[in-house]
Amino acid sequence: MEMQMLHVFRNTPHGRETLLQTAYFCKSAGISPVVYIPGHLKFLMYFDNDVVQVDLNPSYLRSPATARDHAADVFADLGLPPPKFIVPKHFTASALPDIPVDFDFMTCPHSISDLSARIGPGYVGPRVRRILQSARFPVLIPSAVYKPFNRIAVLFGDPANAVRAFRLGVRLGRLMEMPVTLFTRENRHGKTDYEGLLAKKGLSVDLEQSVTEWHVLPDHDFEDNLYRVPHDALVVLGAAGHGLIRSLLFGSIMEKIQTVLPNSLLIVGQNYRSV
Amino acid sequence: MVWKIWRHPSDWLWFRFDDRLLLITFGAIVGIFSGLAAVALNRSLLAMAEMFAQVRISWWAFIVPGIGAALSSLFLERVVREGAGHGVPEVVYSVSRHGGLLRLRSAFSRLISSSLTIGSGGSAGPEAPVVMSGAAIGSNVARFFSLNERQRIAMVGCGTAGALSAIFNAPISGLVFTIEIIVGEWSAANIVPIAVASVAGAQVSRLLQGNQIAFTHLKFDVGMPAIFAAIGLAVITAAVSILLTRFLITSHRVAHRAPLPVWARAAVGGCMVGLVGYLFPQVLGEGYHTIQNMVEGAFPEGLWLMAMLVLAKMVATSFTLGWGGSGGIFAPCLVIGSFTGLMYHRFIVAIWPNLDWVGEGCFALLGMAGLISGILQAPMTGIFLIVEITGGYETILPLILVSAISTTVCHMFEPASYYFRELVEKGQYLRPRTDARVLADISIGELVERDCTTVTPSMRLGDIVAVIQKSHRNFFPVIDPASGRLLGMIHLDDIRPYLFDPLLYETVFLEQVMETDVETVEVDDELSEVLDRMDANRLFSMPVVSSNRFVGMISKATLLDKYRNELMLQTTH
Repeated sequence: MEMQMLHVFRNTPHGRETLLQTAYFCKSAGISPVVYIPGHLKFLMYFDNDVVQVDLNPSYLRSPATARDHAADVFADLGLPPPKFIVPKHFTASALPDIPVDFDFMTCPHSISDLSARIGPGYVGPRVRRILQSARFPVLIPSAVYKPFNRIAVLFGDPANAVRAFRLGVRLGRLMEMPVTLFTRENRHGKTDYEGLLAKKGLSVDLEQSVTEWHVLPDHDFEDNLYRVPHDALVVLGAAGHGLIRSLLFGSIMEKIQTVLPNSLLIVGQNYRSV
Repeated sequence: MVWKIWRHPSDWLWFRFDDRLLLITFGAIVGIFSGLAAVALNRSLLAMAEMFAQVRISWWAFIVPGIGAALSSLFLERVVREGAGHGVPEVVYSVSRHGGLLRLRSAFSRLISSSLTIGSGGSAGPEAPVVMSGAAIGSNVARFFSLNERQRIAMVGCGTAGALSAIFNAPISGLVFTIEIIVGEWSAANIVPIAVASVAGAQVSRLLQGNQIAFTHLKFDVGMPAIFAAIGLAVITAAVSILLTRFLITSHRVAHRAPLPVWARAAVGGCMVGLVGYLFPQVLGEGYHTIQNMVEGAFPEGLWLMAMLVLAKMVATSFTLGWGGSGGIFAPCLVIGSFTGLMYHRFIVAIWPNLDWVGEGCFALLGMAGLISGILQAPMTGIFLIVEITGGYETILPLILVSAISTTVCHMFEPASYYFRELVEKGQYLRPRTDARVLADISIGELVERDCTTVTPSMRLGDIVAVIQKSHRNFFPVIDPASGRLLGMIHLDDIRPYLFDPLLYETVFLEQVMETDVETVEVDDELSEVLDRMDANRLFSMPVVSSNRFVGMISKATLLDKYRNELMLQTTH
């Protein structure tokens, strides 16, 4: 079955930028885009063990008459056919549609419930967090402005998520025919530990064949060393799956990375199931 | 590590021994929390009633229900952002389609909104909000502890039962309502934990509020005349139930057409209730005090006034629930039922004054059972609820009679109950182990056969002979090689006449003989609809497309295999 990517379209200039990023991602990986143009200010996503209510910012309902054409134009600009538009079939309440969740990827801005202008760097909204925690698919958090990427950078950090992010990065590298670079944070685990981990998971061949470079970044000035991540890379990383409270108390690596890097991020949640 | 083990009790040694122990343990926990939610709502309603007691005598008191309903609607729409509605259909929908997944906010949202609506005088009951709250507690406890779908549905049932048994101090009714309305499946695996939760909920209520029954227990000496008269009452309560259902639906439709924000609609509805309440104060609020008077035979109003009260309560309930207020239908049904029963009793006593009639309170009880059974089309709930809230079995024979007849008559005119009507219309009322449920649990994606040999329109007839020799199928999708679009279909039967004429092999192209008017299936189509289309067009297989691109084929043979597997999965647990 062809892979599909869900995009919730906001018919605004900001929304166009994120849709362009989605279109580019789909074009590069040969994925079919599926666009939802919201007709209500909220929708539900029923995952395997969670139901997430996404409360949209009112700008998502702007100019519904032109939304479909604008979305199709964005894809046409990149030489792609019009995307598939989904119309909700099921409703939990009359103004509360259920959106399917059986996609391979989804695009989410940093925050789906706040106005773009209010979203500062290093902020990932609570709804996006919940989607990340519950979804089987990875979530693309696009850069603020559309920027094509030419390589894949996998942040190969916390062992719990490292393998998931690695698998996805390698898979995308093959699909998009782009070089894959690994970036490892040297803390209590060294490069040899990670090599051992990959060997244990039977991924040594992928490491040899698909990864072109492997950079080990010192732990003490990790954020400064993120400068070494190429500006034209799609950054793939795993989310630890901490809740909002724990992240507020102890900080979140994902948000630190998002603060420092302007690149598009592809985040793998704890429930991601690689194909 | 400890956190991970803690969050997965199914892996604990004790519970691995028997899954039912896990359900009973967590059922009791859910029942306690649901019971606490019900007690909280009860207390807040009492506090609100005291707060507004002085206000109700003012001339402007009619706006109080309007303000309450508007605040309730604003709270649901703007604060917790949860659409209006009384909640029970949402719980049933969640159980039917999504394995009982409910939002955490539902655990408290309806408690607050309904206390604003009912406490300010809206004509609604606290049962549906506590059902929603209890169900959400159960669902989220199950989610937190990573219970599977079947266990989660049982927890939703436990929450419902615990809440309902606490609000009425009626554990059997909590159990019966949950099984009849929410879970829809009388299986031991469900009944045991739900019964435990029901007991836990009732016990919490008794500890915190005392072991009180809702209405004073009175002894009724039910004779033959009353038994026969109950048949007539059943028909009348059925008629009133149908009328109330239609009032509610019409009111809902009219409200939706009103060009007003949701909160303003609720305010208008609330003010209308206030105006009705100005003339008939008995229709305001949940109305248990009025019922108590009727059961005790201390309700002096005459026959015509009783008829007016039945109508007034129906209007008030329609304005409350149809226009955006928050609350349930149980309590209004009890009030309207008791008005109807009392009215009927006075009517028959006026016609046959010399017969030895039982006290009019008995007919008030029978009327309540008739209305509950008629509206919910759940006779067992109607019977046990009345028995439990009145604390006596003396009226059990006419109760069964009235409930059974009322349910049957209502079903003739309204095939789906008030709770299920909308779900049935949308095809979302899926009960366990039914055909619709099994089909809903299978997706088109699971059935797609990808081992199809595709051909292109520019191929010659001679080319397909070679393809047929290697294939075990008798249909071949014709695909545009550039875009992957499905252009048509070659059926072996259609080209068979040409296959035996070698002269045509090099001169006929497949685009000349392919069928272009092909019925296709989208990957996200509903399986039940696809089957209907297959039956209507007498097809055994259909091509599946996504964005016009060919994905594979779906056939009835594969569906049957998958259907059997799914049915076995659903029936072995």
